[in-house]
Amino acid sequence: MLKAEIQKIKQQSLEEIRASQSEKELCAIQVKYLGRKGKLTEILKSLKDMAADERKIVGSLANAAKNEISQLIAEQKKGLSEQVNWEKERIDVTLPGKKAETGSLHPITLVYREIEQIFSSMGFEIVEGPELETDWYNFTSLNFPFDHPARDMQDTFWIKSAKKDLVLRTHTSPVQVRYMEKRKPPFRIIVPGRVFRNEATDAKHEHTLHQFEALMVGDNVNVGHFKHIASQFFSAFFGKKVEIRLRPSFFPFTEPSFEFDISCAVCSGKGCPTCKSAGWLEIGGAGMVNQNVFVAAGYPRNKYQGFAWGFGIERLAMMKYKIDDIRWFESGDLRFIEQF
Amino acid sequence: MKYSYLWLEELSKTKKTPAQLAELLTMRAFEFEDMRTEGKETQMEFSILPNRGHDALSHIGLAREICACEGRKSLPTFNVSRLPTLNAGNPKIDIKEKKLCLRYIGAVLENIKVSASPKWIQERLLVCGIKPINNIVDITNYVMLECGQPLHTFDAKKIYHIPYTIYQILIRKAKKGEKIKLLDEKTYELNDNDLVIADSEKPIALAGVMGGFDSGVTKKTTSIVLESANFNSTSIRKTRMRHNIATESSYRFERQIDPNLAEMGMARAIELIQEICGKSARVVALADVYPKKVNPWKIKLNINYANSLLGEKIPVAKMKNILESLGLNIKTAKNILDCEIPTFRIDLKTREDLIEEIGRIYGYENIKEQPLCAETKTPPQNEKRDFENKLRDILAGLGFSEVMNYSFYSADDIAKCNLKVEDHIEVANPLSLDQQYLRWSLAPNLLKNVALNLKNFSDVKIFEIGNKFQNIKGETKEATVLVGAIAHKSSKESLFFELKGKIEELLTKIGYKNTKYQILDTKHNIWHQTRVAEIKISGKEIGRIGEVSPQVLRKYGIKQPVALFGIRISELLEKIGYPEEKSYHSVSKFPVVERDISMFIRGNTKFNEIKAKINEAGGNLLKNIELFDSFEKDGQKSLALRLKIGSDAKTLTSAEIDAVMKKVISKLEKDLKVKVRK
Repeated sequence: MLKAEIQKIKQQSLEEIRASQSEKELCAIQVKYLGRKGKLTEILKSLKDMAADERKIVGSLANAAKNEISQLIAEQKKGLSEQVNWEKERIDVTLPGKKAETGSLHPITLVYREIEQIFSSMGFEIVEGPELETDWYNFTSLNFPFDHPARDMQDTFWIKSAKKDLVLRTHTSPVQVRYMEKRKPPFRIIVPGRVFRNEATDAKHEHTLHQFEALMVGDNVNVGHFKHIASQFFSAFFGKKVEIRLRPSFFPFTEPSFEFDISCAVCSGKGCPTCKSAGWLEIGGAGMVNQNVFVAAGYPRNKYQGFAWGFGIERLAMMKYKIDDIRWFESGDLRFIEQF
Repeated sequence: MKYSYLWLEELSKTKKTPAQLAELLTMRAFEFEDMRTEGKETQMEFSILPNRGHDALSHIGLAREICACEGRKSLPTFNVSRLPTLNAGNPKIDIKEKKLCLRYIGAVLENIKVSASPKWIQERLLVCGIKPINNIVDITNYVMLECGQPLHTFDAKKIYHIPYTIYQILIRKAKKGEKIKLLDEKTYELNDNDLVIADSEKPIALAGVMGGFDSGVTKKTTSIVLESANFNSTSIRKTRMRHNIATESSYRFERQIDPNLAEMGMARAIELIQEICGKSARVVALADVYPKKVNPWKIKLNINYANSLLGEKIPVAKMKNILESLGLNIKTAKNILDCEIPTFRIDLKTREDLIEEIGRIYGYENIKEQPLCAETKTPPQNEKRDFENKLRDILAGLGFSEVMNYSFYSADDIAKCNLKVEDHIEVANPLSLDQQYLRWSLAPNLLKNVALNLKNFSDVKIFEIGNKFQNIKGETKEATVLVGAIAHKSSKESLFFELKGKIEELLTKIGYKNTKYQILDTKHNIWHQTRVAEIKISGKEIGRIGEVSPQVLRKYGIKQPVALFGIRISELLEKIGYPEEKSYHSVSKFPVVERDISMFIRGNTKFNEIKAKINEAGGNLLKNIELFDSFEKDGQKSLALRLKIGSDAKTLTSAEIDAVMKKVISKLEKDLKVKVRK
């Protein structure tokens, strides 16, 4: 009878403890069962009136129950004290984040990196040369005769110098001869760099530009190879299949020479405002290296074949990021640069 | 050049519409620029390549291209009667400069009636963008547009000649200081390298560029001297540039013309004058001086070479057809095309020139892409570029944005930044005075960026990697540098240490050890005189860091302090080289204890000295020294440092730590007269 009573008290108290929500509530439960007049305390108090046999059984049961209850109260108390007041903790997650301090790289740098990565993966070496060039490397060695209309194609900044005919290079092609003077074919190189054209600036024209040049020379490098490399490059750059179109052109340092167009990366050749409905975008110039250039670099005539091509980085960057005015690039304006 | 569609159609017998011609020629010959249609006529503009001016700047030349592009071998021609043969010796033509004038045909025509030219001539001139003037001038222009030969006419009565019956025409260099009024009614003072046409007294035309005003054809003219000549392209170009006169004539001569064309031009002009300028117009005298006749030349082309360069397998018959359609005479022997080049194709000089003709007429779109059969090897790395890219990435991580500026600035910038003009390289033909000098330093343009960006941003942190140009007693030098700047809109505090912290991080991250900053007392250019230091790596100075002189900043309209740094990349790599690969050192398993120490120091004591003494006293148990507070009170400087003390071999007892601190303190007190606060 008493055994069942103890069992019941224990059951009841444990349930109440588990359900308790605060330390105060828990305290009341403790008093209710284990306090001076608590239900279990009453039973323990009554032990002294029992027979020795019964006392032994009931006593051990009641003490066990008391221990169990005390332990659970302690556990519950610990749990309740670690509880968090979530409401008090609530924040407005729509407030702005703390400003992180990172800068932006120039879009020209970003485009260069992408181009260099693609060409490096095709085994091209990256080579650079000076911006201040001699007439020899910029023009004469590239088969531009003196006083020839071809020189008018590239409006040139000349340098006041008593000693040499110096120019700000009008293209990256001088590096072709500089490189070939030191190395023998076969080779594949690309030449990134800053070039200068003496022309007034507007939304589409700049006097300071960035270019890219590729040169591949070997025993039987041909136009088909050029088309292949060019389409591989542009497809990788724009992330979709790009067609290459060659048109006749003239450059003193290549023969045959081409203008090369790519199928419009925006509309894939269907016609759109970017390509002015033509489906094609004019990208740059290219050609098979003129034998006179090989000779200027110290190679024997008619021993090697190669292709050279170059294009403007600004144009690619403007297409890639939809920039409408070329003058942003050299503006130094963070309102522009921070967008990249 | 602007062409008349009807004229091209008549000469080439093409069936194509203007739009189809535009497409065809763009892909095979010359880029189409623009067109304008009025009634049946269409003006078509093509951009003629500089090496094709000698034949394609004419309707007959472009018609020939059209035929070739359409795969027809019928060469366009028009029937021209032969030049009349008259008594040689009148006019008496004397070419003094045989290298500059390769041929001169002069004809005297009498009984000329000058009036307006017929409508069909006027219309064609207008389509081609040339203003009709009178029948004589219009005919010379018409012939030029038709066959490409520039012509000129003089009023025969205005040419001084004795005896009266024999005209004397001299082709000579101008005398220095000689003057001539040209048809543009401006008087030019000539240079002794200018080629002129002269009578026995004075120049009557600037050869190949423009005729003289006084000898020009007017309404009253009844007899003329007609000139069809050939002048050296370089000489014409120099004269044209010297006097800044560009004409249709100089444009063509500058691109070199076939001397044999002069004959066709003359015959055609005589024919038209007799047809149009009066029934009794007749040639009374004609002389042709052509000392060194130009004949067709030969090039042998191996078809295997052509196919190897193009990357195609074009059959020999196809190649032969293409070249023949362009007017070449071809004989084939096995793999060799023996090509005779007509003299009007001056540009065809090498085998590659012929391969280009074959390639473009065959159609570049028909050449298939070919994958490379090349050795797969990893290319050598461009270490400098990789290094610069690493710098860029770290700087961006430190909050700097990358700018790119022009390589130019003005004399005004040089003055504003207290630089020296004589250190600079000057552009001979700058676009404007703002861009007269090549940048000797990247700082001036960067300061302009700072001023601009402070208007829109509260914090500005920018850098640029670029080349600077130095004039070292006449020798030019170009070197790559990194320059950066920071400024805050609302701060008036020194930014030196903020920037220094970033540069220390930059150099440590990229892997340089032994970086030191040494005070630089300089009155040099743009720096704040007492807040600038040399940046030294392994004892070598490779750059500077400091604040910009407030005087300089004021000139750029900047009110806030600006801190600036520069690192000479080329010099750094040359003198010190790339940073060594980082190497791991083991992390101690034993605890490190922190102890703070604060002190008053004497005014001229440098932090570096304190640090050195602490290191000396602490030995290898001293792991790190960090400054966590500094202030000045009653003229006394106070520093608070946090020392990290530990051993790699064991856990130190507090007695051992106290001993280290005691040594440090007594060293500071003894050697630097520091008052340690206890």
